[in-house]
Amino acid sequence: MVATLQQVLEGVLLRLKHHITTFLPSLLAALILFLVAYLAAIAARWMVYRIFKGLTIDRFLRQSGVVFMLDRSGRVRATRIVAESVYWAILLAGILTGLSVFDTQLTTQMIESFVFLLPKMVVAGLILLAGGWLAQYLGRSMLVWAVNEGLPAPRRMAAAVRVVIMFVAVVVAADQLNFARNVFLAAFIILVGGAALAASLAFGLSGGATLRRVLDERREEAGEVREGESRDRSLWNHL
Amino acid sequence: MPTPPMPEEARRAAETLRRADVVIGIPSYNNARTITHVVRAAYAGLAKYFPQLTAVVINSDGGSTDGTREAVLSAHVEDSRLLLLSTPTVAAHRLSLPYHGIPGKGSAFRLVFQLAKELGAKACAVVDSDLRSITPEWIDLLLRPILFANYDFVAPYYHRHKYDGTITNSIVYPLTRALYGVRIRQPIGGEFGMSAAVYERYLERDDWETDVARFGIDIWMTTIAVAEGFRVCQSFLGAKLHDAKDPAADLTAMLHQVVGSVFTLMEEYDHRWRAITGSEPAELFGFRFDVGVEAIQVNVKRMIDAFCRGSRELAEIWAETLHPETWAAVADLSRHAHDPGVPFHIEDELWARVVLDMACAYHHHRVGRGHILRSLTPLYLARVASFVLETESLLSAQVEDRMEQLCLTFERMKPYLVEQWNGRAASKSASAEGRHAAAPKTRQEV
Repeated sequence: MVATLQQVLEGVLLRLKHHITTFLPSLLAALILFLVAYLAAIAARWMVYRIFKGLTIDRFLRQSGVVFMLDRSGRVRATRIVAESVYWAILLAGILTGLSVFDTQLTTQMIESFVFLLPKMVVAGLILLAGGWLAQYLGRSMLVWAVNEGLPAPRRMAAAVRVVIMFVAVVVAADQLNFARNVFLAAFIILVGGAALAASLAFGLSGGATLRRVLDERREEAGEVREGESRDRSLWNHL
Repeated sequence: MPTPPMPEEARRAAETLRRADVVIGIPSYNNARTITHVVRAAYAGLAKYFPQLTAVVINSDGGSTDGTREAVLSAHVEDSRLLLLSTPTVAAHRLSLPYHGIPGKGSAFRLVFQLAKELGAKACAVVDSDLRSITPEWIDLLLRPILFANYDFVAPYYHRHKYDGTITNSIVYPLTRALYGVRIRQPIGGEFGMSAAVYERYLERDDWETDVARFGIDIWMTTIAVAEGFRVCQSFLGAKLHDAKDPAADLTAMLHQVVGSVFTLMEEYDHRWRAITGSEPAELFGFRFDVGVEAIQVNVKRMIDAFCRGSRELAEIWAETLHPETWAAVADLSRHAHDPGVPFHIEDELWARVVLDMACAYHHHRVGRGHILRSLTPLYLARVASFVLETESLLSAQVEDRMEQLCLTFERMKPYLVEQWNGRAASKSASAEGRHAAAPKTRQEV
């Protein structure tokens, strides 16, 4: 009984020793790698800050208007974004390198997936960023144009433009990541089809009024103004 | 950027003519109705006042489809009833050429200047093709200061209806005067005379493919002449009457191109205007006389409605482009725009602040530049409405006094402009200084 117990305990201790001698060096190596990566990340972040500050990149971007394209408040600092990106990239690389020390199937799979997905995620992020900027820009263009033309509900029109552009950006980004492709494609087709139908209806319903206005303008240009009608042409010149 | 080659047709014409002392340029696009009169006036002016000079009248056309070019070439100009004191040694030549590039008045002028340079012209004058009040004397008044008094640039000076030329009166004249310190009353008048040095300087520049190609050309020409120290004067031309047109047509584009050009040139010449305070009158040639001008219809209610609508809908843009105090005042104005018994009115100081804030927002890219310029339309309409209501019962001379007050306000707000332009946060002291500066001590100084 005692001998058996002793045998079991020895087995457990041996296995523990085996595990410790097998995994502890790897764990230590991983921790060291992570620590080195952490220190390198801090150093790189500090260096990027110093270099960008010396080159006055933030001032250049602010004056050139790039910052305001991305952030209306103008509080975005390119130096901070780049420095933090470098910091996290080095830290992430350190974590992945540390995990690769264990050389297990799980860690290998994780690293492979991450390495495979990373470029796609970056591209998808850039697509969303560009879509956001474009949506903002074209939405405002629509807003100002609609106001100056006296069209009804300009803010709704601007919001519609923003939503459509962002939706297109999301569809493209999702396609890039192979995420719910069919769902997004179906939604996109429904949206575009709906917009085309709405435009056709609007054109059909307002076509008569537009035609009447065009004919009136032509008639006025030809000098055929009916009695009682006022000419909206004037000697007033803005310039 | 090198000057692009002239169109083949223009090059052949230059080779045939070889040289000319004087060039008259007439830009056009579908102006068949009025251009004959302009061509005849130009011809008569050259024959009557410069019979000893070789001259060319150039119509630079943007692809008219109403027979403008045919009207130019077939205009009957040998009118025996013209009073000519001396017979011209050679009749002026006449060309009608299509220009290439961006459609617009600026592109048309570019071809005229290229031809003038090619022909070695000593002076060049440009006149609009929709003028109904041009007389042969205009040619004399635009060219004589260049040819015989060593001036480099002649700007027009007209009598206009008090509501005519509202972009000039509300924005361009007060701002240009405050910036560069020279009082050119019609900086975007459309009729100018210039020396070879000036038009060659224009041709050297590389910004022809911008708003300069369109409505921005007039202020661009005037600003360069003033900012680069050319000798500038004005000529009194009488009344300016032009072809009737829809005042709402192209308003936003006009504002965008004209004001955009002013703001862009402010950036280029900021080293010139920063230190300038006050203003000096520009020499005025010609015999001044009073003329009657035709009445102009203005729909004030529509303009105020457009402003209120803009204030409601464009808040997100105005809040970013205008100084917080300016924006608060504008918002307050729109809230009370329809209050019964209270006439709609924008103070000169508020209007000056709106324009200067927009210039600074443009400089600092606070919002997309196109958005800033296009969002100015409702504010501009509000200013026009306020001006019309305020001057309804005033005579032209009294309206000029009001204009002078506005200009002095712009001049006094210059420290505010410089501070905002430099990007410093507007302090309360700065705005107080602006308010104090704009206080009405203007009467004595007028």
